Amino acid sequence: MADKNMLKQKDAMPKVRWISLAVAVVVLVSLPFWGGDYIVNIFTLILMYMAIGEMWNLLGGYAGLVSLGSQAFIGLGGYSLAIVSQVLKLPFLLGFLLAAIVSVIFALLISFPIFNMKDVYFTIGTWLVAEALCVFFQTWGFVNYNVGFNITVARTLGATAMYFIAFGVAVIALLAVVLILRSKFGLGLMAMRDNEAASEIRGVKLYRSKLICFLISAAITGLAGAALYLNLSYIKPTVGFSIDWTVSMVFIAVIGGMGTIEGPIIGAIVFVILRQLLYNFSGFSMLILGVIAVVMILVAPKGIMGLINKKSGFDLFGVKRKVKISDFQTNEDN
Amino acid sequence: MLQAVITGLLLGGLYALIGVGLSLIFGIVKITNIAHGDLMIVATFFIMVILNHLIGNIYIALLITIVVMAIIGFLIQKFLINKVIDQGAETAMLVMFGLSIAIKNALTLIFGAGNNALPSPVKGTNFIKTDLVSISGQYAVNFIVAVVLIVGLSILMDKTPLGRSIRAASSDTMAAELMGINTKTMYVWAMAITMAATAVAGMLVGQTYSFFPYTGTQFLIIAFGVVVIGGMGSIFGTLVGGAILGLAQMIAAYLLGTAYQTLAGYIILLILLTVRPQGLLSKRMRK
Repeated sequence: MADKNMLKQKDAMPKVRWISLAVAVVVLVSLPFWGGDYIVNIFTLILMYMAIGEMWNLLGGYAGLVSLGSQAFIGLGGYSLAIVSQVLKLPFLLGFLLAAIVSVIFALLISFPIFNMKDVYFTIGTWLVAEALCVFFQTWGFVNYNVGFNITVARTLGATAMYFIAFGVAVIALLAVVLILRSKFGLGLMAMRDNEAASEIRGVKLYRSKLICFLISAAITGLAGAALYLNLSYIKPTVGFSIDWTVSMVFIAVIGGMGTIEGPIIGAIVFVILRQLLYNFSGFSMLILGVIAVVMILVAPKGIMGLINKKSGFDLFGVKRKVKISDFQTNEDN
Repeated sequence: MLQAVITGLLLGGLYALIGVGLSLIFGIVKITNIAHGDLMIVATFFIMVILNHLIGNIYIALLITIVVMAIIGFLIQKFLINKVIDQGAETAMLVMFGLSIAIKNALTLIFGAGNNALPSPVKGTNFIKTDLVSISGQYAVNFIVAVVLIVGLSILMDKTPLGRSIRAASSDTMAAELMGINTKTMYVWAMAITMAATAVAGMLVGQTYSFFPYTGTQFLIIAFGVVVIGGMGSIFGTLVGGAILGLAQMIAAYLLGTAYQTLAGYIILLILLTVRPQGLLSKRMRK
């Protein structure tokens, strides 16, 4: 079967990849034991932002669903955590479970109307859903209207525990994306991204593929939302459902490189460090981030990872499929 | 109830004027200008600055602002959107998204996050006041200016050589270029005209509501609503869209209380988007 051989994943630089992955894992797991609190906190942020960046990228970069409503799931995740720990007084880890479940259910419910909308309308529709959710939470007594919740459990948690929660969320996000993209389903996704009509004719189920991506992205964004609010320890509607969350996700994906797995990792590092550096000039930081994003799209539309990939052909997770010319030839000979 | 209906219709006029710029740019340049609301608020702040520091007359301030906004539109289209437009509508949208963030934060940096208001010659006056209904002067002015301006824009697009060139550039880019029209230059003109109209919307919004650097988003969503209901690209559709959105909000406020005004607007929009994703009034695109 020449067909199968053609699609086999060929590693461009297997050694470099495995070594860099191993180094990254060792550094990240051991970090709390040698890094100071400040470093640990920075990495906690990077890991969480990486997770939401990956999830936005899965939608925008692979499934062709440019969403401006991902903050809905951050807010739902944060509120799930708050309700479990503050209202129900249950162990806060259950909040993560609830966050994922609520996010998936909500995503499934809105998918019926939202998936009727095409392109730009989809983008507007997702944003409207998030805004409507924000307004609804402001008028809902069960979640304390505008006031929101103090998430007190967060204060009993040390920096190390918080770090490993963020690490867990990031690993789940990365694993999900890598597994999806290395599977046949992921191949379909990429075909869909490159040419929707052609891929549908070749048997890719558009609606189902997009829906699966949307649900996975919702679940993990919800998880990350719970982690982010465990770290922030306070949630209210106008912050939880703020478009700023999606702004950061878009920034992370655009800077790092949309449609690559490594992009959001680089993007998250750049984003968190930039924000930290500009912390004392609040107001300036978002201004500068906005300008950088615009310049990046103008100068390097594929982001930092696009530049690296073009120069060296390096990619960390090997989701690209390379076709061997010989396969083609034997195929035709038969 | 009658009061709610009349206020809703008048409010619809202002909404239509806010939406018409978004609609034109979508119809002509085929991109969604996510920074539309923020650019409008830039105009509002600009008028405020001129009033405070240069000239006390709001009409002269408006004239200056119209010129400045047209130039800003010109620059944005020429140096930002035209550079990325060949990469697809989504890329252009992300660029405008970045611009929107930059504008919001720049405004906050300069003016602070607090509320501002523009003076209005008709503030506090009533256009009509009976026992049954009363119409505030501001709402009446908004409505009249909006209708006049939208009719004017429609004549500009339909009857003048410039308007014809712009429409030609948008309906068949290749054919227009073969006829010697530089389509990208036409886009630049379209954006400049749109931004000039948006400056007027900015003044009326500043006179009607209090505004702050982040208000842009709120009006962007209203503009989306108007355009989605009226059909992207249709100038007269925005009048209908504005009226429906205004009515829906005012009737919801009358029946359920003002807290639900915004929510009602969003939900009606989502329903409309679901049932008629291509807009309530838009005709099927012919290819």
